[in-house]
Amino acid sequence: MNAARLSSTAFDLTLWLYLGAMVLSFAYLAARRDLLWKVARVVAIAGASANLVSIVARGVAAQRVPWGNMFEYSTVLAFLVVVGTLVFVEGVAKIKTLTGFSLMFSVLTLAIAAMFFPVEPSPLQPALNSYWIKIHVVAAITGSSLFAIGGIATILFLIKDRSERRALSVLRDGTPPPIMGGAIEIDAPHDLLPDPEGSGTPAPDPARGGVLPSAAALDRVAYRVIAFAFPIWTFAVIAGAIWAQDAWGRYWGWDPKETWSFVTWTIFAGYLHARSTAGWKGRRAAVIAVVGFVSLLITYYAVNLWIVGLHSYKNG
Amino acid sequence: MTTRPGPTVRQSVALVWRTLRSMRTALILLLVLAVGSVIGSLLPQIPNSPERVGRYLDDHGVWGTFLFRAGFFDVYGSWWFALITTLLFVSLAACLFPRTRAMMRALRQRPVQARELDAFRHHAELRVDHGPDAVAADAARYLRRKRFRVSRQDDGVAAEKGVLREVGSLLFHWAFFLLLVGVIVGKGTGFTGRAVVTEGETWIDARANYDGEIRTGRYFGGAHTGLGIELLDFDDSYRRNGLPIDFVSRLRFRDREGSPLGVEEIRVNHPTSRDGVRIFQEGFGWAPVVTAALDGESMWSSPIEMTRDEAPDGVPATAMPWRGAIKLTAPEPDVMISLELWSDYRAFANLQLTGRPTPMLVQFDPLIRYSVYVGRIADPARSSIDTRGLRRVARGDLHAARSDGTDVPGVGELTLSFPELRQYSVLLISRDVGIPMVLAAAILVLVGLIPALYVSRRKVWVRAEAAPGGALVKIGGFALQRKDSFENEFDAIVRAVGARSSASQRTSERPGPDERVTTS
Ligand code: HEM
Repeated sequence: MNAARLSSTAFDLTLWLYLGAMVLSFAYLAARRDLLWKVARVVAIAGASANLVSIVARGVAAQRVPWGNMFEYSTVLAFLVVVGTLVFVEGVAKIKTLTGFSLMFSVLTLAIAAMFFPVEPSPLQPALNSYWIKIHVVAAITGSSLFAIGGIATILFLIKDRSERRALSVLRDGTPPPIMGGAIEIDAPHDLLPDPEGSGTPAPDPARGGVLPSAAALDRVAYRVIAFAFPIWTFAVIAGAIWAQDAWGRYWGWDPKETWSFVTWTIFAGYLHARSTAGWKGRRAAVIAVVGFVSLLITYYAVNLWIVGLHSYKNG
Repeated sequence: MTTRPGPTVRQSVALVWRTLRSMRTALILLLVLAVGSVIGSLLPQIPNSPERVGRYLDDHGVWGTFLFRAGFFDVYGSWWFALITTLLFVSLAACLFPRTRAMMRALRQRPVQARELDAFRHHAELRVDHGPDAVAADAARYLRRKRFRVSRQDDGVAAEKGVLREVGSLLFHWAFFLLLVGVIVGKGTGFTGRAVVTEGETWIDARANYDGEIRTGRYFGGAHTGLGIELLDFDDSYRRNGLPIDFVSRLRFRDREGSPLGVEEIRVNHPTSRDGVRIFQEGFGWAPVVTAALDGESMWSSPIEMTRDEAPDGVPATAMPWRGAIKLTAPEPDVMISLELWSDYRAFANLQLTGRPTPMLVQFDPLIRYSVYVGRIADPARSSIDTRGLRRVARGDLHAARSDGTDVPGVGELTLSFPELRQYSVLLISRDVGIPMVLAAAILVLVGLIPALYVSRRKVWVRAEAAPGGALVKIGGFALQRKDSFENEFDAIVRAVGARSSASQRTSERPGPDERVTTS
């Protein structure tokens, strides 16, 4: 089998494995059987391996680094989001519940790539043939994958935070519990708090219930991942400027892609300030991070698809 | 009648300064700058695509005119973009001065002793069986080894770690000023323009020789280098499928006096620099040498730099013919010869036979199809092919290395020949002395950012008092960041302080769970 065929077969396999791992991860969230989680993880790792094979084989087929067009960026992005979640969120932060959502993001990324930017492996056009752009792209995709994980964690944080607040208000004045976010679910392990009214009936701790980990834990992992991503993204922007200087004779030209990567950078800088300096933890900072995530998606997709610029290399 | 006194000038200045000093102002300005940038990415911009701006203006009437007046088609060069940037930097400076002063003070000062150690978030109490002096000495040694800054006063030890966070943060923030200076100096004293050089010809760096517009900074004195650039050879190579491999210009440089300085190749992504100007490979095209004679008298014999027709959707750009014109204003009436070049005859033939456009990647029996016009030339510019006021009187084909003649009524016998087909190269020439500064600033931004994000600040105090059979030791401390991992560090310190004692006993509790919920 030649490398191009292998790459495309592995791509399809990746998509199915991620999809399967995603379903299993959500099943684990619903049923809380450890076995499901273990199987989901094995399938996710198999998917990531297939993803890696697809990337490497693509590089062999095109005889260059396998990140030269939107299709390839997407393949690498999907891989890094899954691996990043397994390593940082499951491994370091010990949160199992994010994985299903990251897999969903990767499945969508791959599906969009297959639908909108399929390209046969081919050499790069001369402007893209520089080692600075190779560095720039690696940094940009790595930063994007971490921002994406941070964005997913932040969205889940907002959902969970809302349900925790509702649950607290139930404890306080008896408003009915919400359904989404599952603050108080029957099958979840509950830590028991003394009833604030002191009536003797134990009340659940809103932070512990439901399918999602506590809002505080989600907030923390989101912050850490974004703080990790930020310097990488900064470096990506700088490497891009160094490349632009060589390729086009100016380091910054307010090309739409440059503009949007600056905008994304700015929003996450705002998030970091809100978090670490102004003590704006919680919802308000989270909203900034979600805006940053949206800006990242615009930088990644919209600029390549709809806004004309020197950077629009979707066809390689 | 009395009016209430307004705020004095001093009060107003103080208010403005206080506003600018707040980080919120800076962040709002930064976000406003981001919003402005977004607008610039959504509307066509004059520096990037003037034609699209023209089309937008045609389509949008009053609204377009309003946007135009407000600078929305040159957002990044508009007064309001500059104003926001200025305010942002003023605000940033206002933030940074007090922080820098405080940091300098903190760096000079030794860590300060504290009393009430059990008031800190982390605290512990130990009973040990050796004296307070030994305890303090042990604690100081251990903390020094752990790279804390330590100060000891009697039996009290004060230690802190992580000032690098603030140092890095300040470095990061101040670096933006270096960036700003680099940009202003570079753009202000520099220029960018385009040179079109044909194989075998020499182009001299002087204002008049630039092709089209040249963008100069306000403080660029017009001192062009006089550098000579001779294009020895241009080479474009393609793969079988028509994708380009590389574009290379081989250049010989000459100094002001015309003496050769050496030969260099530049290609896409590999510019060169000479005499403080950088030279980039930007574009290329065909420049056929065509001679024209009227009644045997030579009127024209130079290369003509042609431009390629815009390709319709679905047609590769390389399949399109190239166009140029020869304008003769000496005869009466004027004569214009418009030229259409097919660099690969097979592509032309194929189009005639099958109607299918074919990419022209190499030179192969090139063909020029010409039309002769007489009348009054409206636009004398070399590159324009404007037939207004002109009447076509003849047309014909001209193959390379051959000539062709035709009678132009009322003017004479026109003889054309096409001795050779050359290429021209478009070079981007720019001067920007700010680049090293901008690069240094970018490096400082990164170098400062890493400790600013990842170093955590923590403080620890140890105080020992003589007690029956040894000493009573109190240890207190807190971390400003990464509070959860400080817990282990603090425990290790407590253990180290009591380590010498055979019977050290911790008598205090760790922080309770309700405190831990708030850790971040
Ligand atoms: C003008 C007022 C500003 C003030 C008072 C300020 C203050 C600070 C402080 C105190 C930190 C360190 C936080 C920490 O040690 O935990 C910080 C970090 C940072 N600042 Fe600023 N800053 C200002 C403006 C800006 C601007 C305009 C930018 C963007 C261009 C920016 C980007 C950053 C970034 C990316 C960090 C690192 C993330 C962090 O630690 O929060 N700052 N800033």
